[in-house]
Amino acid sequence: MDYVVEMVGIRKEFPGIVANDDITIRLKKGEIHALLGENGAGKSTLMSILFGMYQPDRGVIKVHGKEVRITNPNVANKLGIGMVHQHFKLVEPFTVTENIILGSETRKFYFGLDVKSAAKRVEELSKQYGLNVDPYAKIEDISVGMQQRVEILKMLYRDAEVLIFDEPTAVLTPQEIEDLQGIMRNLVNEGKSIILITHKLKEIKAVANRCTVIRRGKTIGTVEVADTSREAMAEMMVGRSVSFKVDKQEGRPGNAVLEIQSLTVKNSKKVDAVKSFSLNLHAGEIVGIAGVDGNGQSELVEAITGLLPIESGTVSLNGKALNGLSVRQRNESGISHIPEDRQKRGLVLDYTIEENLILEVYNRPPYSKNGLLKPEAIRKHAEHIIQSFDVRSGTGGRSIVRSMSGGNQQKAIIGREVERDPDLLIAVQPTRGLDVGSIEYIHRRLIEQRDKGKAVLLISLELDEVLNLSDRIAVINNGELVGIVNTSETNERELGLMMAGYQKEEAPHE
Amino acid sequence: MNNSVKSLVAVLFGLIAGALLMALTGHDPVEGYKYLIQGGLKNPERIGNTLATATPLILTGLSVAFAFRTGLFNIGAAGQMLFGGFCATAVGLSLELPRALLLLVMVLAGFIGGALWAVVPGFLKAKYNVHEVVSTIMMNWTAYWTVYYVIPAYFKGTSLETESRQLPADAMLHQQWLSDMFQGSYINFGFFIAVIAVLVVAFLINKTTLGYELKAVGFNRHASEYAGIAVKRSIVLSMFISGGLAGLAGVAQYAGNASSLQIGVMPSQGFDGIAVALLGINAPVGVFVSALFFGILYSGRGFMNAMTEIPPEIADSIIAIIIYFAATSILIERLYHKLKLRRAANKKQGE
Amino acid sequence: MKKGVLSLISLALSVTMLAGCGSKPASEPSGGAGGETPKANFMVGMVTDAGTIDDKSFNQGTYEGIKKANEDFKMKYKYLKPAGQTEADYSKEITNLYDAGYKFIVTPGFKFETAVFKAQDKYTDAKFVIIDGTPNSGEPDAPPVVKENTVSIYFAEQESGFLAGVATALHVKDGQAGFIGGLEIPPVQKFNWGFQQGVAYANENLGTKLVINKENVVYQGSFDDVAAGSQLAAQMYDRGVNVIFAAAGGVGVGAINEAKTRVQNGSDVWVVGVDVDQYQDGVYEGDKSVILTSAVKKIDHAAYDMIKAEMEGKFPGGQTLTLDATNDGIGLPENNPNLSDDVLKQVDEVFNKIKGGEIKVSAEQGDLIK
Repeated sequence: MDYVVEMVGIRKEFPGIVANDDITIRLKKGEIHALLGENGAGKSTLMSILFGMYQPDRGVIKVHGKEVRITNPNVANKLGIGMVHQHFKLVEPFTVTENIILGSETRKFYFGLDVKSAAKRVEELSKQYGLNVDPYAKIEDISVGMQQRVEILKMLYRDAEVLIFDEPTAVLTPQEIEDLQGIMRNLVNEGKSIILITHKLKEIKAVANRCTVIRRGKTIGTVEVADTSREAMAEMMVGRSVSFKVDKQEGRPGNAVLEIQSLTVKNSKKVDAVKSFSLNLHAGEIVGIAGVDGNGQSELVEAITGLLPIESGTVSLNGKALNGLSVRQRNESGISHIPEDRQKRGLVLDYTIEENLILEVYNRPPYSKNGLLKPEAIRKHAEHIIQSFDVRSGTGGRSIVRSMSGGNQQKAIIGREVERDPDLLIAVQPTRGLDVGSIEYIHRRLIEQRDKGKAVLLISLELDEVLNLSDRIAVINNGELVGIVNTSETNERELGLMMAGYQKEEAPHE
Repeated sequence: MNNSVKSLVAVLFGLIAGALLMALTGHDPVEGYKYLIQGGLKNPERIGNTLATATPLILTGLSVAFAFRTGLFNIGAAGQMLFGGFCATAVGLSLELPRALLLLVMVLAGFIGGALWAVVPGFLKAKYNVHEVVSTIMMNWTAYWTVYYVIPAYFKGTSLETESRQLPADAMLHQQWLSDMFQGSYINFGFFIAVIAVLVVAFLINKTTLGYELKAVGFNRHASEYAGIAVKRSIVLSMFISGGLAGLAGVAQYAGNASSLQIGVMPSQGFDGIAVALLGINAPVGVFVSALFFGILYSGRGFMNAMTEIPPEIADSIIAIIIYFAATSILIERLYHKLKLRRAANKKQGE
Repeated sequence: MKKGVLSLISLALSVTMLAGCGSKPASEPSGGAGGETPKANFMVGMVTDAGTIDDKSFNQGTYEGIKKANEDFKMKYKYLKPAGQTEADYSKEITNLYDAGYKFIVTPGFKFETAVFKAQDKYTDAKFVIIDGTPNSGEPDAPPVVKENTVSIYFAEQESGFLAGVATALHVKDGQAGFIGGLEIPPVQKFNWGFQQGVAYANENLGTKLVINKENVVYQGSFDDVAAGSQLAAQMYDRGVNVIFAAAGGVGVGAINEAKTRVQNGSDVWVVGVDVDQYQDGVYEGDKSVILTSAVKKIDHAAYDMIKAEMEGKFPGGQTLTLDATNDGIGLPENNPNLSDDVLKQVDEVFNKIKGGEIKVSAEQGDLIK
């Protein structure tokens, strides 16, 4: 069997951590080969080595059976290896073609840029692989899914034989994901080979031929996807058996904790984003907010937590109105908030874990007294959360958060918010971008909070998650409450229709 | 690579580059550096002068470093220093108080003057998101021309149109016993102000909740909002403190190292403060050490000129090269990584 | 983010560089043992004022005097450039010179008054020459103190201005003149007043009709704002002024630039230079210059004379000297290509009359403009 790319016995060590330890992966011509692993398992390091950004300490890379040394990304490009990055590297005001030829411009009479013939080639490639991209559209005018196709075209334009997709679906809508999977099939049909980095088993099942699983820097094995169950792959990845269903008891709701009355909130563009929204949330229950992204969920949460002003209506906690209170006052009256964007809102990435874990309480005893920080108390607090929430990092509490994996960052936030012992816990996208193991863990923690008598407001774009965790589900569409349903009495189909804006009673009967 | 090692390597590179320049222009680098260092440290008087030269640099360096640590790029230390010095001079020339009280009021006036000059950009940043680099530079010139107008109009010297009246002896940071201790050097209380400022800033940044807040806002404004920190207030406060430190540099310069305020001169210490802060890796103690290093360079340069045939312009270039290397110490790290990579590659090929 | 910070840093650095770019390399080697046999360790040092050694003014004039003295007396000589313009900066360089053995120190400019005041006490075995100023403590109304090891030198700027005024009037004959000064300080004021007196003298006695209107006598307020100099000159020329006497350093350079532009466009306008012969600064084509003549203070003579006096053991320590027509301390340049022989002859006569005391030039404003 011919392999297009082989990485054999790769080892890469960083100070204090072995990122890759004897990893082997072989890519056949014309296959989609998934690289599966938890966050921090060493996927990115391995691909960075293949793309020439790091040099391996040990091991061999072969392309078409010939040993090569890839010293930088240009060498990788020349060898026909292209990478579709998770974060696109595009120039917004430029057209598709201009972006594609950037760095390898064809010139006319030495000076003039030959955009026309480049655009023609882009169009041909687009047709050949079914990408359907307009070569003259401007990047800022096209959707995220389209932008990703431009990144793919960029690689094809440079005659890449091997395409590496780094978590390509993280930014896409379900429909776009399906389209992308179609494109990937087209690519392999046309003779390209693909390495797909992901931790989403569903996608692997949908599109990949083989799958190499790595865990903690080591190869666990390579399997034929068709012959392997989701559960089996998950177990290889996590190292133990994983349940996809969350076990939970029937909830026992108590008093109303959060009461939202005809709440209206304007977004940053001064447009009503939440319209006359009402909802009650009781102690000991989880209410999930289901909705398509951008339908007012973020604004709803920010109005409750005080990050956005309330335009009209009231929000009260334990019977006390929150309107007009500052973020800090609301925090202190019993709200904890696991924010949507953990790196933007939830953490100061350049602070240590210790420092991040007192982000909302640094000004209160025992963490400070008379304006002076108390390092002893801060350290003890951090050690406690690190232990009880299994936050892993290089050097314990002194680690800079930026150096930690996404899952551990999220665990730190959840630990911090839960430990504040709030009456109301708001969890927004608590498992976004996390691996199966972490998701399972976080779900258990949220239910544990409910069982302790907290009110939990869960906002998630993953319908599975909402269905698995919530006792009741409120569906939001275009800033308005479409309806509230009991989880036990609904299903995915009904929720999907409500998310599209149909009232419950209007929903066509099955 | 450790940050302070990086700074030391940067200094070393700067000295080597300076040596090359001396050699290229036909001068003996060993002799040049010998006299450069002697000029800064040869006798108590010269040591005193070096400390005095370093004093405003410590304070402007601290000002820039403090702003850096709280996520702000205060490039207006020159203007804040000038205006702080102006406020102190105005107080010194206008009020008649017992000496200790007068000096205290002058120091306060200098701090507040510099602070106010920085609060304007801070406010613009907090409220309208105006980038502080632009607004602090503009405030530099506002200070320059304000002083240019006010000094001749209200504090004109008897014969010199370009300077304020000389401060009375009671309104100066000079102290005879201190001067005598350093054999007639013009070292003055300004140095102690600088040392105290270093300690206070170090304490503030590392040990207090205020420092925690300001740094958090500097690192991540959104997370600070989330945590309930008053972000806008923090930005203004950071600029206030940063400007105040630069204002103290003005007090040390105009009421300590000089005895009057000249118009039409933008204090170069304001800009040197940026280099001092970079070389001092934005840590208070680092700033202190790097300012002393600059002090030796600046005060030893003249003696190197006098003792060798190196012309002043070459000496200026040598100092500039050293500063340049020092300030771009970030490049050193890249070079280090490249070397490491290459070594690893060579080793691999050798196997 | 990181990239942003980097570009800010480089911006900051370029600002720093700009701030530091006043100093360009000297075109000639600065110090140096000037000859084969330096006499008994006689070493002459100089500290420059603000500006470079080739500033076409005080620094350069003084340094040229020292170099000329070196040709005759062969001594070691050197100049140092202070880091700033405070007394401490000046004092430090004086100390550096002293420690390195330069015990005859020349300081050009009034800004050295306080530094020399202290140095003359501290270094009693050194000698100091201060030009355009007298040592004093700097306190308000402090009396001048010229110690035995110090000489203070002033110039009769009004006489130099007077001669320039006469020459200008004789050349232009009929028209308007203007004056641009830097700061309103005594040396500049005396140039102005002398110039006005000279023009008036020529109008009364030599049959010229050169008018100076009040609005054409201006002090710009600095010595370095080149753009403002151009602007002021343009306004004056637009008002019909034919010739501007610019005693204003860099501001004067702006005036000269404006004149060059206008002459190249066919106007007939002039500038009168100051302090040193500024003919070369005004060259716009070949060797044609817009500088009609210059009101010269012979700073180089002053430096030369003091070194010579010291060599001959006749250093006039403790004295305050004024250099004027009687000792050839002021005058017009040696060569005046733009002035006719006839004009030069008449100016010579006037010069001799000042020398002989027949014409008295006032150093006070009296009823003159500004």
